[in-house]
Amino acid sequence: MTDVTLTVNGEERTASVPPETTLLKMLREDLNFTGAKLGCDVGDCGACTVLVDGIAVNACLMLAGQAEGKKIETIEGLSTLEEYHPIQKAFEEVAALQCGFCGPGMIMSTKALIDEGEDLTKQEIKDALSGNLCRCTGYTKIIDGVIDAYEEITGKKVPETNPRAA
Amino acid sequence: MKPFDFVQPTTTDAALAALAEHSPNVRILAGGTDYVVELKHVPASPGVVVDVSRLEDLKGIELTDAGLRIGAGVTHTEIMAHPLIAEHAPAMIDAAHTVGAVQTRNLGTIGGNLVTCVPSMDSGPVLLALDAQVTILGPKGTRQIDLAEFFVGVRKTVLEPDELLLDIIIPAENLGKPAGFIKFGLRKGQALALVNAASAFRIEDGKFKDVRIALGAVAPVVFRANKAEAKLEGQAVSPDLIDKAAKIAVGEAKPIDDFRASKEYRNSLIEVGVRRTLQAALDLANR
Repeated sequence: MTDVTLTVNGEERTASVPPETTLLKMLREDLNFTGAKLGCDVGDCGACTVLVDGIAVNACLMLAGQAEGKKIETIEGLSTLEEYHPIQKAFEEVAALQCGFCGPGMIMSTKALIDEGEDLTKQEIKDALSGNLCRCTGYTKIIDGVIDAYEEITGKKVPETNPRAA
Repeated sequence: MKPFDFVQPTTTDAALAALAEHSPNVRILAGGTDYVVELKHVPASPGVVVDVSRLEDLKGIELTDAGLRIGAGVTHTEIMAHPLIAEHAPAMIDAAHTVGAVQTRNLGTIGGNLVTCVPSMDSGPVLLALDAQVTILGPKGTRQIDLAEFFVGVRKTVLEPDELLLDIIIPAENLGKPAGFIKFGLRKGQALALVNAASAFRIEDGKFKDVRIALGAVAPVVFRANKAEAKLEGQAVSPDLIDKAAKIAVGEAKPIDDFRASKEYRNSLIEVGVRRTLQAALDLANR
């Protein structure tokens, strides 16, 4: 067994898990953070996306032991009982999600992207979410939700067309 | 996953000791974007897994007397954002950007991409086109070899079970050498390459010099199209000659025929890819 201590949404957590445990499995089954989803289990779908030290990773591809000492952020850390996080609010307002399975991953990828603090174009948003698959809505409204959240949080505007294209 | 023992060394010496102690029943884990997937499917335990993601010696990108040193544990995301790469080997940014998606690039390492040694690796062609060398650590000491000699076959390199890839070095004389890269996949994100191509050369007195053309995903390993290179070497720069070299490169590849694309289609992509990367390098050279 491997003892793993890490921080989840600001609180220190410890679990003793077999070495072959992924971070996703530890979060879901040992620590009861079931927001991140088990989808493809091979790093294609992004449903398991969490932030590790601020960067988006597939929790299904990281062994729990590799996350020792790291700061993990999951979807559970975003909202309070009183209020949604602005990204969640934007997703709700444009009806970005249908079944919702991809949502935690989409939203955590969005958070990592906005947290970087860079000016964003629509193309860059699409690129940043290309590791998150949705099988319901077809992405248009998800991208709309990300744009709204970005504009709400940063006060910036996403240019209508990408000036770097052409 | 089958149970295994997990070792997490914090120094290169400790990692090498662990590899030596458990060899050959030992495997190295870096970013895990490929190996963790493999671990989920292998029928037998690998024995011991040595996690090298905490080794400082494998991190960092810096200029040395030898050239640009890129630690094997540097992630694709770090390559995309690093000013030294942007200044001295910008084609590497294009290549890194085509790896998987953000999450894959955040975890996956350049060393892991080379060591995994799948034909469609996206890091290989640009590095070959820039004559990259790799440093290997092992019980018998340190050795440095050309990257071209590192690749042996599909998922096979010269690395012994008790050896570790330390870094990749782009020789000083090739820093800033005009180079182009292109990847053709079925989509932009999360796609395996149907064809990867990279070209690099200098222009001296209006003639091609030190021409390198490297192809990926169209043979068991990433390789240089020597005949296409020879067609250009020492010749006066002309669009017609670029077209001819691109056609010759097709004959040097052995693309597979599968559900992703037919052999004929891949051959067309090779010609287009070589032509476009040569043109991209030419545009840079003329800048």
